[in-house]
Amino acid sequence: MTLSRRVFLESLGLSVGGLLIGGGGKLWAQTSGLSPNVFVHIAADGVVTIVCHRSEMGQGVRSTLPAIIADELGADLTQVRVLQATGHKKYGDQNTDGSSSVRRRFDDLRMAGAVGRMMLCTAAARRWGVDAKTCTTEGGFVMHTPSKRQLAFADVVVAAARLKPPTSPNLKPSHQRRYIGSPTLPLLDGPAIATGKAVFGADVKLPGLLTAVMLHPPVLGSSLASYDASRALAIRGVRHVIALPTPQPPYKFQPLGGLAVVADNTWAAMRGRKALVATWSPSDNASYESSSYRAEQAETIRKACSVVRSRGQADEALGSAASRIEAEYFMPHLSHAPMEPPTATAHVRDGKCEVWAATQNPQESQNVVAAATGLAPTDVTVNVTLLGGGFGRKSKPDYVGEAAFLSQKIGAPVRVQWTREDDIRHDYFHTTSAQRLEAGLDGEGKLVAWRHRTTFPPIASLFTDGAALGREGELAQGYADYPLDIPNVRVENGPSKAHVRIGWLRSVNNIHSAFGINCFIDELAAARRVDPKAQLLEVLGPARRVTLEELGVEKLPNYGHALEEYPVDVARMRGVIERVTAMAGWEARTQDRERGYGLAFHKSFQCQTAIVVAVKKSRSGKIKVDEVWLAADAGLVVNRERAQAQMEGAVLFGMSIAMYSEVTFKNGVAEQLNFDGYRLARMPDAPRAIHVDIATNDERPGGVGEPGVPPVAPAIVNAVFALTGERIREVPLSRAGVV
Amino acid sequence: MSAIDERRNAGRVVVGMRADAALFLPRPLRTSACVCFFRAMKRAAWTLAWLLLGCHAAKAPVSQPDDPSRLRSPEAFAQVRDMGSRSQALFREASKVMLHPRCTNCHPPDDTPRQLASQRPHDPPVARGNEGQGVPGMECASCHQDVNLELARVPGAPNWHLAPIEAAWLGRTPSQICEQLKDPTRNGGKTLQAIVDHAANDALVAWGWSPGHDREPAPGTQEIYGALMQAWLDTGAHCPQGGLP
Amino acid sequence: MMQLTINGIPHELDVDPEMPLLWVLRDILGMTGTKYGCGEALCGACTVHIDGHAVRSCVTPVRRASAKAVTSIEGLSPDGNHPLQRAWTEMGVPQCGFCQAGQLMTAAALLKKNPRPSPTDIDRSLAGNLCRCGAYNRIRAAIQKVADEAKQP
Repeated sequence: MTLSRRVFLESLGLSVGGLLIGGGGKLWAQTSGLSPNVFVHIAADGVVTIVCHRSEMGQGVRSTLPAIIADELGADLTQVRVLQATGHKKYGDQNTDGSSSVRRRFDDLRMAGAVGRMMLCTAAARRWGVDAKTCTTEGGFVMHTPSKRQLAFADVVVAAARLKPPTSPNLKPSHQRRYIGSPTLPLLDGPAIATGKAVFGADVKLPGLLTAVMLHPPVLGSSLASYDASRALAIRGVRHVIALPTPQPPYKFQPLGGLAVVADNTWAAMRGRKALVATWSPSDNASYESSSYRAEQAETIRKACSVVRSRGQADEALGSAASRIEAEYFMPHLSHAPMEPPTATAHVRDGKCEVWAATQNPQESQNVVAAATGLAPTDVTVNVTLLGGGFGRKSKPDYVGEAAFLSQKIGAPVRVQWTREDDIRHDYFHTTSAQRLEAGLDGEGKLVAWRHRTTFPPIASLFTDGAALGREGELAQGYADYPLDIPNVRVENGPSKAHVRIGWLRSVNNIHSAFGINCFIDELAAARRVDPKAQLLEVLGPARRVTLEELGVEKLPNYGHALEEYPVDVARMRGVIERVTAMAGWEARTQDRERGYGLAFHKSFQCQTAIVVAVKKSRSGKIKVDEVWLAADAGLVVNRERAQAQMEGAVLFGMSIAMYSEVTFKNGVAEQLNFDGYRLARMPDAPRAIHVDIATNDERPGGVGEPGVPPVAPAIVNAVFALTGERIREVPLSRAGVV
Repeated sequence: MSAIDERRNAGRVVVGMRADAALFLPRPLRTSACVCFFRAMKRAAWTLAWLLLGCHAAKAPVSQPDDPSRLRSPEAFAQVRDMGSRSQALFREASKVMLHPRCTNCHPPDDTPRQLASQRPHDPPVARGNEGQGVPGMECASCHQDVNLELARVPGAPNWHLAPIEAAWLGRTPSQICEQLKDPTRNGGKTLQAIVDHAANDALVAWGWSPGHDREPAPGTQEIYGALMQAWLDTGAHCPQGGLP
Repeated sequence: MMQLTINGIPHELDVDPEMPLLWVLRDILGMTGTKYGCGEALCGACTVHIDGHAVRSCVTPVRRASAKAVTSIEGLSPDGNHPLQRAWTEMGVPQCGFCQAGQLMTAAALLKKNPRPSPTDIDRSLAGNLCRCGAYNRIRAAIQKVADEAKQP
């Protein structure tokens, strides 16, 4: 509690004993009522407003975080107004990324509500002449159960506002929770979405708003050499053609440079861009070619690389093993491709900038706008709209910087609208990876050695020019933290130089680590003629909490948590594997003549997920994912309904990765243009049924947005093997022609 | 050599490449100068071959190896004295058009139109539906307009739709296509003259020669195609026998 | 000048007749419920109805809608109570929601012409509407629910 308490106060920028009253958000700055902190306001009429400081991109965060506060506050959630926070440090970290919103802020938000509850209770208790400890709140009322009295918030809020906030709020016991863990929390934005009234990034309306469409350099690192805008400017509605500054590596979140066509409407801007004539300086990245790069990566993982973790003597044990099993796995670049391409609106005037953006990271947007305009970050107001999908793309606000730069240049509000082609071709791509796994068996067939080499252009390259090895945090995602009950283990990372911007995409490096490990375990099972489930459980080992020593690392980033707080707990891993195999009827699968079953497990973002996939052949002989079972243990889950939706969606997201999606490069340019080249799963691909089981327990909350993704692709590939006997070690499966 | 190779070798970008072309590189046909040159060379080679083989060709044009990308006009078959043979040869020539992906893609033997030169199944997946117009919510005209769209790359022509399944050309031989064209139970009860007129004048058929974007047009012109079909009808509408598609 | 009727309201517009209907709706008329997702009729986010037929407005020149009745998500029902809209909310269909206007418009066109679609019918009609969040199973179920309820006497 002490630690959380400190975090909570720091997040508000306050010292102990000085909680802010009446100084909440802009909206209520001038209104009377109770504002115990920046997240909560209760107006004199009792209307409760709760601030959502994280971005809504489909994970349901606006239906979830306010519920946490409302629960502790005792507000009626159906009557609560949810206010979307602008970017501001007073809210603490707002980067909606890493499946962290509940995981990292659960205690903070509960305390934000609890402070308000205690103040309301104290005010009511004084009026009743009872001990405040005997009062509680529920449904917008303060209750005194012993005397069966109650007062509406409106009746005590003015008195409560005069009180000093408690410095150590007590939290409601779990049995008093009404919303946290409820299976039926309302979907806040559902009605607005279903009627077309929801406001997304491009839906902001301002007088005199102009629209910009960008022409980015075709190859990363090339810059505008010359251009002729005369034909573009001749198009009706085109107002300006403006060159943007050329970014310098490391690219971070800098705008890409190139040209902007600014017009009265999007259509004119698009036509204007087509009419531009531009030439570009050469770039070393023009040598980037996917098939030769894959061959280089394959060479890299066939030699010793940098050690990520080591236990025992893996090299020696492999050398003296009675038999060895080895395999190599490859995954391509991926594009985030949120249905809403990047878009932002900015208006620079009077030394300030106001932004409306579909962004996962409003505070970083402030910084990027500041860099693009020369303004101070504090002079930048970032309003966060709904996001039409994010998946990590919109935590990188390069497009927000473009809008601000253009607005400042032109002196008018400007919306930047990336086209789908811009989005796919100029993404912060999910990396492209190669892995080699080797296992050694002794004379009795016992697993005695495991060596896992991986190489991928790292996210580190985005921040450190030329970085070719993954940072500790990248390698902790399934490489350093996977329990291996094997005496000799060695995990290595080889260098891969980045030629494009590498970014994090939903579940990040867990995508490839889970693919390699789960496919290899399935191969081990086949080679040793054991049940894949038994093989998986054997590799993970008995129920235990795994130590750093056992992992063979000195420390573990562990997604920002202490290992004591969020342990590597094999019991919970085995739990989801047992659960999902029971749901799927795994033991009886051989009686199913039509379908092949594949199993995979992965832990990421403090959530353990296991999946069974059943595939069959369609009439045309293509592989079809017929049914999916998913069991997840994310500890305490606040919004179970949305968590289930996230898991269902993760299955489809993972199916796209397994079956269809890849970005390939030729001469440094992405070869895919739109959804015809960059294919995603469509409704006819969706399984007949997806069965989701989310564990109910009071363990510390884990993430739910990303962890469903990693086990999907290996489960599908393993199921294809079960059905056809064909071992495929590279996705998408469309390459092999089986889907 | 692709445009980008040229740029790299020059160490500087070739001036005058249109910006959108750069955007969409390296699709092979976007900057088409070299492609056009290649086609011209191919055409010249075939012309030369015809000149060299001229006398043989005059005797038996039907049996000579032929360039599928070139469509001869009916006059090229005037020397074939036997009317039945000439008629067969005329149809075989016209079938170069029918068997081109621009035409077969919308004459499938199943419920799925094809696309691109590879004749892959249409993506997004679409179904034939009633009257070959697609299914509700996913009709041909949900996306395809009456013209090709320059920015969106979507091909279009008036009344965009699938040919009836009885008129499937994909995977058929010229002989099979000819027989089904003449069969009133499979040609919609049309007269042969109506079929010829359709080939010669229909606006959707015309799209085959102006497919837009970087799609390869059907061989020849609609005018030659119509003339071949008329000449085939005028010579007795004989069908070629057997053979590969 | 072009005459358009959108959600029952007549409009007279001076626009490039080749401008896609999507941009007329969004940029000229400020009706932003219809979404831009791909610009090439590959994702379905921009789906509206012209005389009851679902079309991808991102590739539909506005001239095609001239003198016809256009329906966008804003006009699917008078007060957001189309059975599909209700089912969408009740069943928690949307995740990010960006594709849902297009999904709803396609589903509405399907049910109007085929009130009792089979699962295959639903898949075929919705095959052109991408959902990156992967809400397909709930979209399917919501359409089926509305169809099943309509069957009741």
